[in-house]
Amino acid sequence: MSTLVYMKILEQTPAKYDRGMRILTLGRVDRIKREIASVWIQPGNAVLEIGCGSGSLAALMTNRGAQVVGIDVSEPMLSVARTSAPDAEFLHMTATEIGMLGSDRFDRIVATLSLSELSEDEQRYVLRATRGLLKPNGKLIVADEVRPDAWWQRIPFYCVRLPLAAVTLLLTQNTTHALRLLDSRLAAAGFRVASAERYLLGTLALVVAERA
Amino acid sequence: MMWNLLKDIWFLFGRLFPFPTKPGLRRVGNPGRSSPVLVTANFELTVRTVMETLERDGIDAWLLVAPTKGVNVWCAGGAGDFTADTVVSILKTSGIENLVDHRRLILPQLSASGVNIWSLKERTEWKPRFGPAHVKDLSAYLRNGKSRTEREHRHLKFNLKDRFVMGTNLGFNVALLLILPLLLASVWLPGLLWGTLALLFVFSVLCSVLAFWLPGKPGVQKGLSLGILGAAVFVVFTEVTGPPDPWHLIGWTGWIMVISAFVGYDMPSWSPLWRQDATELILGVKNTHVEILPEKCIGCHLCDIVCPADLFAYDSAAKKYAVVNLDACQACGACIENCPTEAIVNNFRSGVCSCPTCAVINGVGALTRKGSERKPSEEVAATVP
Repeated sequence: MSTLVYMKILEQTPAKYDRGMRILTLGRVDRIKREIASVWIQPGNAVLEIGCGSGSLAALMTNRGAQVVGIDVSEPMLSVARTSAPDAEFLHMTATEIGMLGSDRFDRIVATLSLSELSEDEQRYVLRATRGLLKPNGKLIVADEVRPDAWWQRIPFYCVRLPLAAVTLLLTQNTTHALRLLDSRLAAAGFRVASAERYLLGTLALVVAERA
Repeated sequence: MMWNLLKDIWFLFGRLFPFPTKPGLRRVGNPGRSSPVLVTANFELTVRTVMETLERDGIDAWLLVAPTKGVNVWCAGGAGDFTADTVVSILKTSGIENLVDHRRLILPQLSASGVNIWSLKERTEWKPRFGPAHVKDLSAYLRNGKSRTEREHRHLKFNLKDRFVMGTNLGFNVALLLILPLLLASVWLPGLLWGTLALLFVFSVLCSVLAFWLPGKPGVQKGLSLGILGAAVFVVFTEVTGPPDPWHLIGWTGWIMVISAFVGYDMPSWSPLWRQDATELILGVKNTHVEILPEKCIGCHLCDIVCPADLFAYDSAAKKYAVVNLDACQACGACIENCPTEAIVNNFRSGVCSCPTCAVINGVGALTRKGSERKPSEEVAATVP
């Protein structure tokens, strides 16, 4: 019986994940998604979304008139995404497999709270692969938790993140890992940062990069 | 060396907690272009054991340490953190395809509850196969090549040393689980805390070590058998040491039974032999059903290869498999994940871990499957209590 109770409490659902991310970012993640869709996506853009989750951003982007391909490794997430953004195309695929989608194909590649789910090697590999997938004037848009590089900047980072992470964990049993060294990894993969905004004392970033 | 010793002490108690090591490619010995390619989880103990064993046996190999969130092979497989996706990812990022001329890939057998080998074949040019369950059989497997016939490599054992180590881990984790309520209760009942912690730990080790000899079914029954033994020792001891306070005697005897039942309930989670199902552990009634639909079975052997419990038998006349040893089923779901024709029906959610302590301590969704799920067959579910 207790096992059943535990399973019920700890069961991961797409809705619970979304709730967790909202708490963790104090609702900022939804605003960032709206900003991405309204500022950085143009009607007619071919967009790849890496780690589309429940498809909330894909829905905003298809409403803007973009052609969206979303990938994720979670079938439960993908099935929700297919309902929330019926005009987008969704594929079960790891981020390391995006190379097979072609080359110079997308105007925008978007990754919100997904790069940080990957190991460091995977991040490097995926960033290089995105560069090959983007059209020459395309843009890579990354919104994620970031850990500051300098130790003294990490003090406010942990002050903001630890309580939020604890509450998120307690309420939804979800957690994330902050990205490290995003700027230098982007540079190593052949990108230059065109625009960068930081939120919540610099713990959350929206970075737009172009092929260097 | 010192660092490894400290880690080993930690693994005596805290094996349940993820302990990540950097994912990526490791060279074992001096591997060349024809050396075998193995995959494992990025749990520190696993990676170190695999490397040490192969190096000791003088085997050169490439080891791909997959990003499984620092969780061991079996748990990560069950939790959906060691899947075909994980293997695809490490194959791509490691660059192994440029280092060898062949495409043979050896997976740990226990990853089969998460890794769908057909998906892996479809998505990569590699030819994956499941190796032995235990690291100690790995060198022999690599030297002799095949192991489909070596059935003993595929079935899990629970020897004395394993039972002791799992017992200490069980003790540490149940103590951790109960420390907060015990601290609160000790405000009103001083003396409860240390006595209970000691009992939890001793009973855990004993329950695990004596697992095969305690009377009753695995679960609460075996726990209570141990409790009766413990209570008898306690009563004799208090009678010998002086005139007992009757309330003290009754209280602690009852408490010993409660603790032993609790420990007994959790012990099977720490064994590789028994399923963690509440009905089975509390009532001792078998609640697991697996069946192969003969019209769908194509006799591909994969269910037999991945099963750690020797559930299946091959009918060579019909060229099909059937379930012959249902009692041993642990509901790991490896056969269901890997059956290419969906010929296996079952009455549990496959690929879902349900160790009670683990689910609480590791809460972070690590132990509830996030990947694909197969629903239990409704027909079969209806026929089982």
